[in-house]
Amino acid sequence: MTSGADSGRRHVVCAAAELAPGERRIVEVGGRSIGVFNVHGRFYALHNGCPHKGGALCAGRIGGTVVPTGGRSFVYGREGEILRCSRHGWEFEIATGRALADPRVRARTYPVSVEDGRVVVTV
Amino acid sequence: MIDCDVHNNWSSADVLLPYLPAAFREYMERGELPGGRGSFPAAHRPWLHPEDFKRTDATPPGGGAAGSDHAFMCEQLLDRYSIDHAILNGEEAIEVSTLANPYYAQALASAYNDWVQDEWLARDERLLASLVVAPQDPAGAAAEIRRLGGHPRFAQVLVSSGSQRPYGDPFYHPIWDACAEVGLPLAVHLGGNAGVNSMPTGCGPPTFFWEAHALLCETGMGHVASAIAHGVFERWAGARLVLVECGIAWLPAILWRLDEDYRALRKETPWLRRLPSEYAHDHIRLTTQPLELPRNPAALWPSLDDIGGRDMLMFASDYPHWDFDDPVFVRVPPEWREQVMDGNARTLYALPQPVGAHDERR
Repeated sequence: MTSGADSGRRHVVCAAAELAPGERRIVEVGGRSIGVFNVHGRFYALHNGCPHKGGALCAGRIGGTVVPTGGRSFVYGREGEILRCSRHGWEFEIATGRALADPRVRARTYPVSVEDGRVVVTV
Repeated sequence: MIDCDVHNNWSSADVLLPYLPAAFREYMERGELPGGRGSFPAAHRPWLHPEDFKRTDATPPGGGAAGSDHAFMCEQLLDRYSIDHAILNGEEAIEVSTLANPYYAQALASAYNDWVQDEWLARDERLLASLVVAPQDPAGAAAEIRRLGGHPRFAQVLVSSGSQRPYGDPFYHPIWDACAEVGLPLAVHLGGNAGVNSMPTGCGPPTFFWEAHALLCETGMGHVASAIAHGVFERWAGARLVLVECGIAWLPAILWRLDEDYRALRKETPWLRRLPSEYAHDHIRLTTQPLELPRNPAALWPSLDDIGGRDMLMFASDYPHWDFDDPVFVRVPPEWREQVMDGNARTLYALPQPVGAHDERR
């Protein structure tokens, strides 16, 4: 892994083909536990410590949720985009790390790229 | 550190079958069960947790229900946080309070009490258990308290916060009498909000799980007021009431209100000799989980300090439930920490001082 002064430490997670849509991989990078996710073909990385109370966020269920409707209809959506912490069940948007119930609460995200068919996370 | 609320579970309620008398074993073997074979016979609360109420990371690696595997409980809780003692409160056993048949309910509670000795207390010296009774059968409950209350590993008698009437009511005095005889506190754990028990909020049932869960502390208020007003702590000087998972932030407000109204209307309860808040300080203990979290975390403590809360609160994690409080992250003021995380429970349950504690204090 090369290390750039501006971009932080780069770490190859796996071949992109090994992380299919809907899947995740939890890796240790520089002493940090990080979850790398494939959401509909795009890759994202989140710190595996919940900003709520430190639970193993990235080990939680991946799925959809009931989306805000402004009315009394219950519409299920965003399948595959939402991560629910394994500890207390708070919902987070994988793409941004934001908690759905309170966007001021945010899980740390890391840049992810695909280079030569490999998933690379920058920490 | 002492954890005052840990939920030991089973993967199937059929584990109780060998402990049930023949008359009631048939009820579980052949009779109707609300959740099918292997489920526990109790009425279910009308709010269903939409994600299940267990931590999803608490499912044992070898399978089974969260809280059912002692080794995994050690890994995730007891060893991880160096907990000296944990009070086991079972998972569904307190829900016997919801059944209309008090005799079946008490038989189930007794079966649980025998099972918890064999399956849990025998495995680990750190574990203490609550002695579960069916409060709708006060005479049967008192007999069960006398049957097992002398066992040194039962720390307290346990009932659900959902009830047919508040626990100071003379209907329940046989239970208080038996508790006094064996020298155990009566603990009231959140639950039992179904079946024959009253709804927990006076204006009618809440609708959603999170809405209800936040409001179930109302039952705790009723039991506090009732035990004080009916003179439980005058009649049995050693009586202790422990509220488990019923919240703590409301306590100062309710005690202030009780004090003020008692001052005006003392004549309704001539058996009382002290202010409600004074009885509460000496006789009532509350577990901290789920600890309320104000926007400014420090805002929680001044009002509690006003009623002597430092002497009354006892840490609990509620492992392995969804609203678990982590002992490392829980925000207890440094000067309260020794009492809340350890000392108050150690005194209440008459537990030995930790090894080395005496030397540290010198």
